[in-house]
Amino acid sequence: MNDRAMKAAATETDDELLLRIQSGDEQAFLDLYRRRQAALFRFALHMSGSNSVAEDVTQEVFLALLREGCGFDPERGTLSGYLFGIARKLVLRHLERGRSDVVLVVENDDSTLPELAVIDDPMVDLTRREGIDALRRAVQALPRRYREVVVLCDLEEVDYADAAIALGCPIGTVRSRLHRARGLLLEKLNQERNPRQAISLKPVRCAS
Amino acid sequence: MPEFSGDAGQPHLDECADCRARLKSRRELAAGLRAVAAGFHKKEAPARVEARLLAAFRSQSGITPIRRERRWIPAVTWAAAFAAMFALAVFLVRDRQPEAARSTTPRTVERASLVMSGDMEGFIALPNAEDAATGESEAMDVVHVEVPRSAMLAVGLEVSPDRTGEMVQADVMLGSDGVARAVRFLN
Repeated sequence: MNDRAMKAAATETDDELLLRIQSGDEQAFLDLYRRRQAALFRFALHMSGSNSVAEDVTQEVFLALLREGCGFDPERGTLSGYLFGIARKLVLRHLERGRSDVVLVVENDDSTLPELAVIDDPMVDLTRREGIDALRRAVQALPRRYREVVVLCDLEEVDYADAAIALGCPIGTVRSRLHRARGLLLEKLNQERNPRQAISLKPVRCAS
Repeated sequence: MPEFSGDAGQPHLDECADCRARLKSRRELAAGLRAVAAGFHKKEAPARVEARLLAAFRSQSGITPIRRERRWIPAVTWAAAFAAMFALAVFLVRDRQPEAARSTTPRTVERASLVMSGDMEGFIALPNAEDAATGESEAMDVVHVEVPRSAMLAVGLEVSPDRTGEMVQADVMLGSDGVARAVRFLN
């Protein structure tokens, strides 16, 4: 694809690409796939802990899109949210079959980590390698309904509206689950590092 | 985490140590989650997934993969055939002699000693072939044409004067530059 075609593809919306796909445009299919596959793959990877499951899910999502009458309705939300919704259902199917028995291990390249402010408190320094590893494990250990919302909104930065479409719930539910999930993450991390401090950081409302 | 901002409640935070601690933890958690995400940002589906999906798309759309190089084969063939005919015609017009068959062995017959083996058997090298750059590894194309029998005179073959107007089948060997290198008369 030449530069001009690449720029055109970059400016086209997902819906425009989908229309071209439905008329048999192969390049539009490739453009949409390349635009969305990585986030879908990572979502499935975070949810399942398995590269092979993530690969299968990513492939199945786009195969579902190719099927006639794939069910996408632009009136109900974005194509991105719809694709995450398909991915979620496929992941859940894999999880129900008990096929996800692989521990997620990612080789971290320190150079890829963002520069973050140095935090004095070593007990909750989540930006250092061991803190990141602990946080990743904590995300993996979250109950599924909380894990999926953290993965979508915090790790993949999907907006709440798209997350609501993907999860099939109202935006308010997304917000409340996310709030609860973050509380659970903090609780889990503090339990690991300092049981006494964990108690004080439980997500309770301030009385004052 | 956009919904958790302490800016609006700053006066309260100044007074409440618990809320300050919670806010600090939430901000650290947000930074940590960004770091986790950064550790995964290069992760993506392997290339084989794209290949499989492309195959699925083509099979569903009934699209046959385009092999551009094959699309050029007919054009090249026709161009080569045209070039061969043109070269042969020029050659015949230039060298055609009205006299009867030559009694001496012409130069072109000497070149016929270059006749090749196997299915190249019977080809007679054309005079202009020596001007063309040739190499052992040069790819040759053979084009089947129909020419006047008088063309056989040009390469030193005997032709009865009363049959010069007849047409004969011939194979013309073309070099990669489209120039005729040799000819073989089939009848």
